Amino acid sequence: MARVFQVPAGSSRSGARRAAGTPAAPAPAPAPRPGEQKAGIVAGYLAPHPPHLVYAENPPQNEPRSTGGWEVLRWGYEELRRRLRAHRPDVLVVHAPHWITMVGHHVNCVPNPRGISVEPIFPHLFRYHYDFRTDVDLAEAIVEEGERAGLVTSALREDGVRVDYATIGALHLANPDWDLPVVSLSANNNPYYYSDASLAEMETLGVATRRAIERTGRRAVLLGSNSLSHLHWDTEPELPEDMSAERPFNHAQYAGDMELLQTIREGPTSRLKDAVPKHIEATASETKAGSLTWLLAAMGWPDVAGDVLAYGTVIATGNAVVEWVP
Amino acid sequence: MTPAALVPAMPHLLAGDPAPSWAELATATRTVGDRLRAAGVDTVLLLSTQWFTVLGHQVQCDARLRGRRTDENWYRYDYGHLDHDLAIDTDLAHRWADEIDAAGMQARRTLYEGFPVDTGTIVATKLLDPHGHGRRETERSGARPFEYALVSCNLYAEPSAMAAVAAAGVRAARDLGRTLGVVAVSGLSSGLTGRWITPAEDRVSDAHDRWNRKVLDAIRAGDRDEVLAMSPQYAAAAQADSQFRAFAFLDGAGVVDGPGEVLAYGPVWGTGAAVVWWGSDSD
Repeated sequence: MARVFQVPAGSSRSGARRAAGTPAAPAPAPAPRPGEQKAGIVAGYLAPHPPHLVYAENPPQNEPRSTGGWEVLRWGYEELRRRLRAHRPDVLVVHAPHWITMVGHHVNCVPNPRGISVEPIFPHLFRYHYDFRTDVDLAEAIVEEGERAGLVTSALREDGVRVDYATIGALHLANPDWDLPVVSLSANNNPYYYSDASLAEMETLGVATRRAIERTGRRAVLLGSNSLSHLHWDTEPELPEDMSAERPFNHAQYAGDMELLQTIREGPTSRLKDAVPKHIEATASETKAGSLTWLLAAMGWPDVAGDVLAYGTVIATGNAVVEWVP
Repeated sequence: MTPAALVPAMPHLLAGDPAPSWAELATATRTVGDRLRAAGVDTVLLLSTQWFTVLGHQVQCDARLRGRRTDENWYRYDYGHLDHDLAIDTDLAHRWADEIDAAGMQARRTLYEGFPVDTGTIVATKLLDPHGHGRRETERSGARPFEYALVSCNLYAEPSAMAAVAAAGVRAARDLGRTLGVVAVSGLSSGLTGRWITPAEDRVSDAHDRWNRKVLDAIRAGDRDEVLAMSPQYAAAAQADSQFRAFAFLDGAGVVDGPGEVLAYGPVWGTGAAVVWWGSDSD
């Protein structure tokens, strides 16, 4: 039995096929015509980062080779990439939970991060050669706006800090050509002490991010890189992409994810202010790292539904690709 | 008795301008290194909670780990830039992995160019063997560093599993005839100060300090059962580093049955840290 799950993608056609009472997901945003592009946040995505997805894609930048796997999530990313292009952003801003900073919220201000990222937890899956451009002006502006909002912040301006797999993974899967500049934000939490991010601070960081984007006149797409339910296996099969071993950790984890995704699909996003903490409590969701809250706060908790492009498990964690267009 | 120690993981111990407690903790960790050398240790079996993993138990199998780590949080300080050059006892590492598998767990042999050695491992090893002396000497250089056998800290594994991993390492070392030391690199309470501070501002909160002292008192008394019994409550009340899996690891190695000597205790950026030694002080 297939153990990878998918929530129907929300095209207008698939929406029309749904049973009565099922919320219709929004159609992809039309591409702006020349001269119509305006600054600001034009879309936000929940963009999960399991290294398995990059591994399964076999890009030239990643050393390990696979035979595939986790196709449904990867198809969701295919649709994300198509939509992202249509939004014609001039920068991608990503918040990911594995650039772990114990003190404050850090922003990568290095103009050209490059190197190899060998992932200490999944070195057999992720040894990625990265080389990308940072939108330094926007990065510095986010630091300034964060400080102005009273957050503890830091601008990373030193070469040599390894870029983490979550940041790379989300960015690669959203834009494998790496032809857009990037701003990368850290996650202010501490897993070996088992502390979570302050969601209130993520709200503040999100607002600061929006202000910086507006101040610099950027047309930005945001990527909040969290998985959903986060209990998972502590061993893996001989073949990592053996999909016969892939399934939710248990029914409660799956049901918790479906409840959250239903709320996302129904909208508006303001309902998630209550739903996200509840989901964290129920499923140990990785949204405790704050990326989703940052994303929606930056977008001003728009009065829209999210479009769930795919759902699937990776070593039992729940992962969804979701689009919000304000 | 196999000599053993608990040492801190935070890089502040290497600061050029340290807080008093950072300096005391660093000196105490160097003392542990001196004692391990005096005990004739060949290889240090080492767990660092900052090499945290979630799948199986990773054993480092690369013979030499050289490079520079720029810490992703502490890069703005001198102690955030960590050169390292570690020698791994690969025979022991592979035997340890085999023993982990044989015990019904999943060992993951780790041998990848560019693998990022964690800050805790680098800090501890730089202090344990600051001049690369170790015990064993070669005719050519006249000095040879400790060799290490490194294992990750699985955040999803039960403390009993971490104990079983340690026991597997001790068995493997015994089979190879190694003279072993065991070191767990871990903090105590968390309560990390969430802002940029000067060294003089560093302190542990009163509540966490009481918990740390309670645990250290039980360690001093050699009351292993009491420490293990209070560990879950300690983890919850003081957010102990990795739920204090470090002690479970040391227990599994069979090295904490007697009283521990607390060589130093103090704050590191609001967290609690201690250097504890088990073994003869004449080692």
